Amino acid sequence: MLLSGCLLVNACKKSGDGNSGPHPLSLEIPAGFPAPQYSFTGNPLTQEGFQLGRKLFYDGRLSKDGNFPCASCHQQFAAFATFDHPLSHGFNNQFTKRNAPGLFNMAWLKDMHWDGGISNIEVQPLAPITAPNEMAEEIENVIKKLQQDDHYPRLFAAAFGDATINSQRMLFAITQFVGSMVSASSKYDKVKQGSANFSLTEQTGYTLFQSKCASCHPEPLFTDNSFRNVGLPVDPFLNDYGRMLITNNPADSLKFKVPSLRNVALTFPYEHDGRFASITSVLDHYSSGIQNSPTLDPLLRNRIPLTNAEKFYLLEFLKTLSDSTFINDKRFSQPH
Amino acid sequence: MKLTQQLHRVNFCKLCIALLLVTAVISCQKELHFDAEPQKEHNLILKFKPVVLYDSVPLVLGQTYTNNFKEPFTPTAFKFYIHNFQMINTDSGKTFELANDKYYLVDFSDSASTEIKIAIQPYVYNRIKFTIGVDSADNVNAGAQIDALDPARGMFWNTTTGYIMAKLEGTSPRSPQGGKFEYHIGGFTAAESVIREIPLLFPYGQNLDLKPGGESQMFITCDANDWFYNPWDIKISQTPVVNGPGELARQVAENYSKMFTVDSVYNGQ
Ligand code: HEC
Ligand code: HEC
Repeated sequence: MLLSGCLLVNACKKSGDGNSGPHPLSLEIPAGFPAPQYSFTGNPLTQEGFQLGRKLFYDGRLSKDGNFPCASCHQQFAAFATFDHPLSHGFNNQFTKRNAPGLFNMAWLKDMHWDGGISNIEVQPLAPITAPNEMAEEIENVIKKLQQDDHYPRLFAAAFGDATINSQRMLFAITQFVGSMVSASSKYDKVKQGSANFSLTEQTGYTLFQSKCASCHPEPLFTDNSFRNVGLPVDPFLNDYGRMLITNNPADSLKFKVPSLRNVALTFPYEHDGRFASITSVLDHYSSGIQNSPTLDPLLRNRIPLTNAEKFYLLEFLKTLSDSTFINDKRFSQPH
Repeated sequence: MKLTQQLHRVNFCKLCIALLLVTAVISCQKELHFDAEPQKEHNLILKFKPVVLYDSVPLVLGQTYTNNFKEPFTPTAFKFYIHNFQMINTDSGKTFELANDKYYLVDFSDSASTEIKIAIQPYVYNRIKFTIGVDSADNVNAGAQIDALDPARGMFWNTTTGYIMAKLEGTSPRSPQGGKFEYHIGGFTAAESVIREIPLLFPYGQNLDLKPGGESQMFITCDANDWFYNPWDIKISQTPVVNGPGELARQVAENYSKMFTVDSVYNGQ
């Protein structure tokens, strides 16, 4: 009886050839991580879908003039942030309004972008593709370009059963690639697993971190996914009020997403507008630069006073969050 | 005690198998009857017509009209999402709701999109109700979507997740923003929702007596002037652009939610 039920279910599936379908993958969930926010239900993770997403991520044709693939602003050796640029370059010599964050552990993010404006990873690529200062393209045109390509119809068929190319499938594939980027092989992780040891300075930094920073940057993701004002004065040219632009609520003025600090030594410059070139400048800010305002986070009302020695220890600890396995992982590199 | 537990387990297993079969059968049925209109129902064709000036003048994109504040404007795009159709008889209290709710983007630059065919249970009706907007869950939880909600249709914001639920844009010499006006209206959180139910009466004394298997028509006018006026004053000279959820979007939505009128109904056999 059970068998006939299964047969019935199978009989209803559309794709004819049973054994040549896409090969399922599963998202690796590192030990100690919470359940991801995005778990690929409705967009089953497969080898073919992931590879298609990878190709799309590195393909300039997703942008209007062909020069700005996702990877132009998200570079693997910088943990998929823009290397050494406060703001990234986009279409027509324009700058982005914000610093490009590193891309890893995205499946654990609740809201994306510094202001949390994007609430579902599947639709996130629509933002850069259509923004006039980023890829400046229309979704319809991207789909047309992909349909006219020699290879994509075959790749979409391999990933989704038939050669239909539409925005949903493109977004699903990019999500499979970006959502699979997991960074959890840093020295810090190895220490946690018992296969490495902190040096004395790193250990001192870790202890300081736990007492002074972990309330907003809690382990293991090093962000609590909340939005907070850390007392950075508004840049008069950018006039960016962060979360308030999304919620229209004055209580959210100047609040930005708490960024993960994993790979932080690789993702300079720092803060939502990339105003600080070094981690030391960020620590100087917490210690002596915080500007008071009505929405300043209560945890920072008295600043976080740090001696030079403490800054050094913190810095040494933060460096243990760099994941060289991740930035050298061939699965995420430019396909040939 | 032990026995009952065992019995329970057996029942549970049976239940599982039964459930599996039922779901299998149901999913089969869905697959088989996908999009097919049930035989005996009555097809109702809704035809949306853009107008101005209290439904008196047909609106043509690219031509110039004047709003209540004597501001000339030339609409170049006029579109909105609707779904959740209900047919009502206010005398008997009967309401018929469409079983498979789906979204439609009525876009006056694409005439095919202005006619919507829905299958209705035969009965006498004197009122229609539908929703303008995209439900909260379909903005965020649903992720990447297809058909009417395909983001390739240009009705999805790029700085914030969510649909532009209605759009009116064009040019006007009164606009301080380069001669353009642009109302992109959306918002789905409780505080910012522009999702509105639109109940419409039929013209006085008319009703639809839908017979099994027949086909009837209903003409619904959509007055662009309503976007600017009543209860809120939206002057192109002062507010040429609304692009995002918030108080202004709510005001425009409150204005345009009264733009619909059932102009006429035609009973077909
Ligand atoms: C022109 C540079 C540029 C391009 C091209 C670009 N991005 Fe980004 N990306 C950014 C910037 C800047 C941000 C931060 C935006 C913000 O917070 O408002 C960002 C943010 C993101 C985020 C959210 C990260 C977080 O922590 O919230 C993801 C995911 C992402 N980009 C993926 C992509 C994908 C996928 C593509 C290609 C479809 C892409 N990006 C193309 C610059 C770019
Ligand atoms: C009140 C919450 C809070 C506390 C406490 C806090 N941070 Fe942050 N941190 C944030 C927020 C929010 C940002 C992003 C601010 C922005 O860009 O506007 C941030 C940004 C950073 C950045 C820049 C990261 C990047 O990729 O741009 C670093 C580095 C950093 N914090 C380290 C620390 C350290 C070290 C401590 C402890 C000394 C600490 N933070 C304490 C909330 C906090």
